[in-house]
Amino acid sequence: MTWWQALVNAGAVPAAFAPPASIGRSDLEDGVEPGAGADLMEDDELQAHPLPERSDARLPSAVSFLDGIERWSVVAYDGVVPVVRAYVAAAVRRRDGQGGLHTTHERTRDFALAPLDLMDGARRQALQEHCPDVEVMSGERVGQPAVFLETVEMAVRRARARLERELAEACIATLADDHWLVVDGLLSLSPAVARHPRALGVIKSHGAQFLEGRGLERALTLPAGHRTSVFRVRGGHTRTEVFSWYLRLWPWEGNDLLYGLLRVEARADAATVARASEVSGWLLAERAPLATPDARWDRLLYPLQMVRKYLQTRGPRELLPAPRSPLPRTGT
Amino acid sequence: MIARSDIPPVGRVVATELKPATPHQFHFWTANETSIGIGAIVKVAGLGAGDSGLGRVVYGVVTDGFAYSDLATPLHDVVGAEGDPARAADAPTARQEIRYWTAAVLRQIPEEPLQPVPLARVFVADDADIAQALRMDTYLYSAAPTAIPVGLYTSGGLEAPVYLDADFLLGPEAAHLNISGVSGLATKTSAVEFLLASIFTHFPAHKGRVAAVCFNVKGPDLCFLDQPGDLSAEDRRRYERLGVPPAPFQRMRLYAPLKADGVNLNTLRTHPDLVADVEPLTWGLQEVVDFAEVLLNRDDIDAKADAFIDFLRDRVLARTFDDGFGTTHRVQTFADLDRLFRAIFDGLEITAGGRSDTWRTHHIATMRKVRNRLSNISTRCKGLVTDDGPSSDIPWGAFEDRAVYVIDVANVDPLGQDLVFARVVSKLREHLERRDLGVDAVVVFVDELNKYAPGDGPDTYVKKMLLDISERGRYLGLVLFGAEQFRSQVHRRVVGNAGTQLFGRMDMDELATPGYQVLSPATKIKLATLPIGELMVRHPHFTQPIFVRFPKPPVLRGRDGVERFPPAADLPFADAVVRQLVHLDRRIRPNQVKDLIADREEEDVRRALAAVRRTRPEDVLAYFRKTLGRRVASDAAVPRERQAVPPLNPISDEPY
Repeated sequence: MTWWQALVNAGAVPAAFAPPASIGRSDLEDGVEPGAGADLMEDDELQAHPLPERSDARLPSAVSFLDGIERWSVVAYDGVVPVVRAYVAAAVRRRDGQGGLHTTHERTRDFALAPLDLMDGARRQALQEHCPDVEVMSGERVGQPAVFLETVEMAVRRARARLERELAEACIATLADDHWLVVDGLLSLSPAVARHPRALGVIKSHGAQFLEGRGLERALTLPAGHRTSVFRVRGGHTRTEVFSWYLRLWPWEGNDLLYGLLRVEARADAATVARASEVSGWLLAERAPLATPDARWDRLLYPLQMVRKYLQTRGPRELLPAPRSPLPRTGT
Repeated sequence: MIARSDIPPVGRVVATELKPATPHQFHFWTANETSIGIGAIVKVAGLGAGDSGLGRVVYGVVTDGFAYSDLATPLHDVVGAEGDPARAADAPTARQEIRYWTAAVLRQIPEEPLQPVPLARVFVADDADIAQALRMDTYLYSAAPTAIPVGLYTSGGLEAPVYLDADFLLGPEAAHLNISGVSGLATKTSAVEFLLASIFTHFPAHKGRVAAVCFNVKGPDLCFLDQPGDLSAEDRRRYERLGVPPAPFQRMRLYAPLKADGVNLNTLRTHPDLVADVEPLTWGLQEVVDFAEVLLNRDDIDAKADAFIDFLRDRVLARTFDDGFGTTHRVQTFADLDRLFRAIFDGLEITAGGRSDTWRTHHIATMRKVRNRLSNISTRCKGLVTDDGPSSDIPWGAFEDRAVYVIDVANVDPLGQDLVFARVVSKLREHLERRDLGVDAVVVFVDELNKYAPGDGPDTYVKKMLLDISERGRYLGLVLFGAEQFRSQVHRRVVGNAGTQLFGRMDMDELATPGYQVLSPATKIKLATLPIGELMVRHPHFTQPIFVRFPKPPVLRGRDGVERFPPAADLPFADAVVRQLVHLDRRIRPNQVKDLIADREEEDVRRALAAVRRTRPEDVLAYFRKTLGRRVASDAAVPRERQAVPPLNPISDEPY
């Protein structure tokens, strides 16, 4: 018997609410943080640097790719108190010489989220007895269901970020001398990973802008196959200091300014500046195969998409929103 | 049946709403590098975590295969490669691919209730699985096994013998075998030769004795079945695996008509080392008249001709007969018959004064037509049909167990081929009905069914006979092994009655005909590219076609035989007579024979030789001398002035 069944048996009302984020990708947002800024580490002002031809790109002999997913759903209500089942997973898949991906690290967490102090005693006991992993939430916003669900979502994302960070740290601990790790998202969330010489963070969403003025304009109008000068990401209490630059994979003209635009994070070290073009050329070569049919294929690297697909196929399907209404269709 | 846990699965059954698993079909995926291919037999066993259908085992044969990647549209590959095909291979990450297979269910255990195939693990089938999957266990492991190896099923390094059920191959449950395939790949003949060897080895004792009659209709195909062929080590290993000795047929008799000279054999097996094993095949009037229908084309067949032939058969042949004009006849040969006809025609013209055109109720035109046809066969098939009655025939009633009787009619006029075929099959049927042939079952191998039993065209006597064998033969033990290039163009009832069907490499045009609609496109492609030595088998016990490999037959192929044993040139008349007599009695010295026949008429010598062949005396030379000495020539041999038969008046318009 599952813990949510036990909960229902104890008198909770069964529920099924899966947020849209459980359907597909929800990036760990590269959100705006107070005090964020950039110090140029290359050139006097931000420049656009052309990258080597794709055929000249030097690809590392082995690269590991890390990504994660999250799924959650309200599975029961104790009165108006929602009880949430959440699932987060992360995996590292290493690319072999033939271009195939093999999973080397994988972690999952299937847990419950609930404001235990607001729950009825019997049902709280049932939950605690049957669910080995309960994350206690504050019951402050239970009275506002929509707001509370946002809190749940944030909690699940934090859980996923934690899992990804742990996995990234486990991966770099075993990374061979010529192996690289590419993380989908911020590298700076983990100090150990952010300081690793062969770890890269690839950020597709650009909620935080570190540049301004002429530099920002150059970055946002970067031609395809070019990168910007390397700058140091400054500020933000959650960040470890890293170097970063923008990279345009596909021409933005005819689309929008962020089309095909990646921000790359790497160790804050002079060596990062020295090989920014080489690394960018490699990432440019990762444009193929296209990560279609993902809507953000212009920025999504195919191996990272494969890591996510791998995790999605292994995740619990009952946490996905129903594909269609469970109600019978009308005669018309 | 429980799968051994130490054997890793090769795939897993998957089902979607659009492509669900059903009781008769399922889909599974494998690794990209897999031993699975079209025709592979697999086993689905629900044993592992996440498997469904615990305890249910399903066997299936792969009928189709698909490979695809997660590429949404081909255009995305173009975009990714920036329009340059050379760059398409530069992508650092290989796209996720799938090998997705469709399999048709061969058997489910338990068979009831019949349920959809469980979504479980897929294993490669081993020997025991093959036996189960093809329902061979019922006749392979029974108290009285009836299994006949037909070849080896091979897949992914595994190899398992595949057996046919003798009860369904040679009767009485079902019978007959049909094999199709393009010409020139030595598959059809080779397969039949191997299968005959297999039948002779594995024909169950409780079913009695078996023999084969093979019609050699082209070249030297079947002339060297008693000579060993070259077998590779792989072939020998396969023979061992199938339990068939890799040896040529121990008992093989080849029958061939004589050439027009009446003494040389009309076959390609005339090499001095082998010719002694060839028996002449010569028939006389009685044998021909019994099958006169064969000689009459469709326009000829009418009640009047039939009635006259019946009259000859019942009232005249081999009887003392008064022609009504004062002459008594005893008709035993074509020459006797011709004398009878002359007497009748002369009688009508001279004795009756030309006032009558009927004799014993038969119109003179009818008689002329029958005379024309009968004399025609003795002319066109001179060497097969002799003027002096049967001198050498197949040993009816004394067929040997596990013997192959090859009848070489490759160089015989088509009319003669029809006659040989009709008579041999009819005699086989007669003797099998009386159970006095010497064996309990006979396999009759006929190549070129497109010619002898076409789906369209006139209903010939031969076609009717083939239909008769197909429809009634299994009750008698008369089994037809037919071969052709285009199965679709053979009479439907002939191929439809064949319980077992083999297919070699097929022509794509042939595969496009409706008869092959039940096969999947992939199976058709495999059929169109089958290598030599591989066949697709359909058998009543197999719910789906199965691909097998068979070893090269253990006999010398016709072409190789002709190279190793080149046919000898025709011998001079005297030498040919010597050879035939020496064949009957090896003590005879050639000079004795040559002295005897010197200055004798060749016709006399031929008649004496025929008498010797017919009689098979203890002392061949003495009998030959005696027969030659008392001038065995019939009256017809006496020179006399040929009297032309004047036309009758009035006479019908028939041009006879």
